[in-house]
Amino acid sequence: MPRLLSSALRIRRDPRLLKIPPYLSLLCILVGVVWLFLLPLDEYSRRTYISENALLPGQVHTYFGGSDQNVFRAYKHEVNALEDKSNLEINDKLESIIKGIGLKVGRQNFTYNSAGNVYSGENLYALLKAPRGDATEAIVLVAAWKNTKEELNRNGVALVLTLARYFKRWSLWSKDIIFLVTPDSIAGPQAWVDAYHDAHDSSRVDRLPLKSGALQGAIAIDYTQQERFESVHIIYDGVNGQLPNLDLINSVSNIAGGQMGMGVAIQEMWHHDNKYPDRLRTMLRGMLKQGLGLASGPHSSFIPYHVDAVTLQPFGRGWQDEMAMGRVIEGTFRSLNNLLEHLHQSFFFYLLMHRDRFVSIGTYLPSAMLVAANFTIMAIALWVKSGQPELNKEAAKKNEEFEVNPNNSAVERDLFLPLGFVTGCQFLSVIPLYLFNHAPESTLTPIFAVFTVLNLLLPYGLSHLITTYYAPTAQQYQMIRSFSLLLLGMFLSSLATLNFSLSLIVGVLSTPLTFMQPWPESPALRTFCTVLLNAIAPTMVLVIGASVWRLEISDVLREAAFAWDVYGMYSSIVVWCVWWPAWLAASVTVLGKPVPAATRRGKEKAKTA
Amino acid sequence: MRQFLSSILLPCLSLAALAPSTALGTSTSDYHEQLVLRPLPLSSLLASFNFRSNTTLSAFEAHNFQLFPRSLGQILQHAGTRELHLRFNLGRWDAESWGARPWDGAREGGTGVELWAWLDAETDEEADQKWLILTNALSGLFCASLNFIDGTRTTRPAMSFQPEGDHRNSTAANTHLLYGVLPHEVVCTENLTPFLKLLPCKGKAGIASLLDGHKLFDASWQSMAIDVRPVCPTQGECVLEIEQTIDMVLDIERSKRPRGNPIPRPPPSYELNCDKSKPYSADDTCFPADYAASQEWSLQTVFGKVMKGTCPLTDPSVLPVCLQVPESRTVFISNGAVEKKDPNMEQRCFEVPAEADFEMILPRPEGQQELKSQEEMQAQDLIKPETPLLYAERSFTGHGQERGGVQTILKNPSPDTEVEFIYMESLPWFMRIYTHTIEARIDGHPGKHNSLIQQVYYRPAVDRARGTQLELRMRVPPSSTVFLTYDFEKSILRYTEYPPDANRGFDVAAAVITILNPNNTDGKFAAYNLRTTSLLLNLPTPDFSMPYNVIIFTSTAIALAFGGMFNILVRRFVAADEGPQFNIAGLKSKLKAKFGKVAQKLDKGAVPNKVPDEKSDGARVVSGDSEKK
Repeated sequence: MPRLLSSALRIRRDPRLLKIPPYLSLLCILVGVVWLFLLPLDEYSRRTYISENALLPGQVHTYFGGSDQNVFRAYKHEVNALEDKSNLEINDKLESIIKGIGLKVGRQNFTYNSAGNVYSGENLYALLKAPRGDATEAIVLVAAWKNTKEELNRNGVALVLTLARYFKRWSLWSKDIIFLVTPDSIAGPQAWVDAYHDAHDSSRVDRLPLKSGALQGAIAIDYTQQERFESVHIIYDGVNGQLPNLDLINSVSNIAGGQMGMGVAIQEMWHHDNKYPDRLRTMLRGMLKQGLGLASGPHSSFIPYHVDAVTLQPFGRGWQDEMAMGRVIEGTFRSLNNLLEHLHQSFFFYLLMHRDRFVSIGTYLPSAMLVAANFTIMAIALWVKSGQPELNKEAAKKNEEFEVNPNNSAVERDLFLPLGFVTGCQFLSVIPLYLFNHAPESTLTPIFAVFTVLNLLLPYGLSHLITTYYAPTAQQYQMIRSFSLLLLGMFLSSLATLNFSLSLIVGVLSTPLTFMQPWPESPALRTFCTVLLNAIAPTMVLVIGASVWRLEISDVLREAAFAWDVYGMYSSIVVWCVWWPAWLAASVTVLGKPVPAATRRGKEKAKTA
Repeated sequence: MRQFLSSILLPCLSLAALAPSTALGTSTSDYHEQLVLRPLPLSSLLASFNFRSNTTLSAFEAHNFQLFPRSLGQILQHAGTRELHLRFNLGRWDAESWGARPWDGAREGGTGVELWAWLDAETDEEADQKWLILTNALSGLFCASLNFIDGTRTTRPAMSFQPEGDHRNSTAANTHLLYGVLPHEVVCTENLTPFLKLLPCKGKAGIASLLDGHKLFDASWQSMAIDVRPVCPTQGECVLEIEQTIDMVLDIERSKRPRGNPIPRPPPSYELNCDKSKPYSADDTCFPADYAASQEWSLQTVFGKVMKGTCPLTDPSVLPVCLQVPESRTVFISNGAVEKKDPNMEQRCFEVPAEADFEMILPRPEGQQELKSQEEMQAQDLIKPETPLLYAERSFTGHGQERGGVQTILKNPSPDTEVEFIYMESLPWFMRIYTHTIEARIDGHPGKHNSLIQQVYYRPAVDRARGTQLELRMRVPPSSTVFLTYDFEKSILRYTEYPPDANRGFDVAAAVITILNPNNTDGKFAAYNLRTTSLLLNLPTPDFSMPYNVIIFTSTAIALAFGGMFNILVRRFVAADEGPQFNIAGLKSKLKAKFGKVAQKLDKGAVPNKVPDEKSDGARVVSGDSEKK
């Protein structure tokens, strides 16, 4: 032990130690990225299983069918007749149908303003009281009138009506069942769930006239396909990358895939051979969606309130009809009805790569953590370095075996400029955040164009500003980098526990920031670094991403503003307040021309004299 | 003993001989029973069973039980109970469709089991003691977990309850009211069986023969009540009256399902009741006709069996079965029964032959097809439900594990009468309410309305010993809606305090609303009673597999860390250059020194000692010293 201590002390003083961190950072990044690509292998992923024994998926006979199909056809005629009617007319008709079934009906108005647009409508919902229940728990069946692609959810709404009539006949429900029909897929459910939990802004969203107990689960139907289908697509991404309990997905997949003999797909992987490339693709798609944090369907709004929810979407051409879809929902509801307690057994943090393979947080988290750790390592190294005397290149060359003189080992750090600069960058980030979330839609694209150009010039301007007025030394540049990387590492590692994918995406895109430093003597390297940095600037990544996925920038910006205003997506905060300041600090550092400390001190003395 | 036997046997024998006429010397029989059937909107049927018997107080005190159930009577005597009210409830009363509650809500409780009683005791401690005896004994009698009504679930309401019976002023001073509630108790057949056993005819004859656990507990709402109270007529002896009530709302369509085939499979398509007026109506397309349409039903289809005569002990002047439908509707009854109309109450009652089975069929009303609107149809088929004095609805607000709120919506439907009532909450101790947040406001008028709450009785909770008791005397102006809200904080329980079963959450008992009688002339304290639904409170719950992981993990960490730490603390450290040197160089120098000394001795004063050797010598001396210390 004493030997260990003394040898550790000796190593601490070793100047070679300070050469390690950049390599260590690089190693962290490499291991982190490779780790991610190992996950789809059989050795690292696990088969899914039902953890909550009470669910018993697929253990009940489902009886939906027979003459219910006649009723379904009639309801579909009614829905078709309402195709071009206004929201109010639709709800009036649906209300009369549901009242005929013998259920209580509630309606709720909502109005959201985002990017100068008004999103308003009226939700309609019906409450089936559990015959012997006590209004303490409820499960929700949602059908949006229009799905996320603005297609009429013809079969979905008709199916909800038919199921409401069918469920009413059973006396075994232990929880109330709420049937919710919303005019759109995102704003409507959001308004309803907010109001259900009394978390709504009462000036924009009405309170609910009718309520039941704690929501225990929700299933949404997105069924626009007219012909018979083959498989069910489970959409599970929630707002801000939150996910429903894995048990719910497994139950649906068990009922649809096992009991009903349908195919089950996730993440729009219509064909999946369960081999490495497909698994990796599924996982990456899932991560991208999680990272963006957008609502992917009517179910997404439920998840932040700890209500587990998925959207079911039939696809493909096969021989399954609407009744089969109804039976999947019946089976799922029977399973949820069995629950004695809130879903908590299985995983809330997972990456799915096939419908029955997943990795849990313990396995995948190190990947994002390593990437985040590389920033922290570099930040600490830079801090230590900044405390050591500046080496004159010539002096260093002359004296190869130069060792740090213990008397001269600590240099006073000039903290004002670095702290002020990094804080300033963080505060500057409020401008884009405010602009992109509050500007009206028509001005969003021009603002973005102007901002992108300004963003190219901003580092030059800032660099010029600080070099002229402050003449920072190499030590100050080191500290700017140190603080900025420290913040980045800290934010990303805490974000990794909330939204792993977002943290990893931002982390990987910012990895070059670790290695950026001023190149006063090498214009070629400086130009290269500047070009590289501009290629990974948040604005540029947005432009490249939009062109890769063939999206309009205006749509992306409008969607982001909508997400911010309606369901509180925080990805934009991460982009503008975590990623962009770090990028700005690095860009300014690259352009920096450090003044040797001695000359600066001389200048200051001259000034004071 | 003989006297006791004769007192039991005589009335029975005489009744058997002379039944069912009023041959007894006393004015009427001490027992009567009645079933009132009332079809409700949305194809429901309210069935109210009422059984009442009594015994004189002197006979009761002499342990002389006739029609009064002995098992219950002995418990009451042992626990010194003056008045007892026990409720078993399941489901929800849908006031908006079904109207006012039966018995003005006086014969029902909140979901689960509710018990309140006036006990004879000198002190509070004695009352608690007797309450413990009472709850434990009743728990055994009714197969319910009433023994779990402990101190944390017991309250002493100050304003809400008033005795229903006549208590002499001398005894009233020493009676204590205790109220306990078990919201999570699931009422089922094991509670019905002991309930029926208290009846003189059990479930064998009379209207009680219709009671079947399968149908009763498949009802949309059901309530079983037992009320024991002393009644003192203006002249004559005081009697102890026991009233047993069962109210249930049956869903006619669901009840008509045969017992052997209870699964609601889709009916064959030709049995579907379709709306043929739709343009797309076809063999394979059927818009279902309105659910609200009246259906045909009979006692047999709804209760699963026919009524088996009458109970021979019952008072024949009270007709056993009554039906409340408009006069225009036809009713078919079995042979031997006689229909008697009561024009004032839109009620017809039936005299039932004592020995024969009784069946009643209410056919679907004629001419239903011509009338289009649902309202018209209902007006024709049913007696219009009475509007209740107040609608109440309670729910949680907020989300998360730390705080929450409760919101009660109280709606007064009357256009001109103000409603004054007492709102009582008995909350568990782990729901700590913030009294400063209690606020009542009228819908549409923002801001506080302090005048709505007139009086507050608040008894704060004591952790793990007593729950919160909150009683508010409030009023709701005519045709307005009042929101009563308050916030609370959730406590964190000790991990042993979680019940061992699945953690569904904790049930919070229904709020009790007692609407005060504005003209309290007839001695009735409450004009109407109602309960809100119970609530499910989610407390922060540890994942119970976690402690084991934590224990294992910390044990390992402590074992490793403690081992190392202990080693460091106990070992004595000496710097390497201070300790004795055992390396070769040291050995060499030592040897050199030795040899040097020898050489010195041999060659006196020729070679001086080297400096390092002196050092090493010195070091040795120092270390030697330290060893000595």
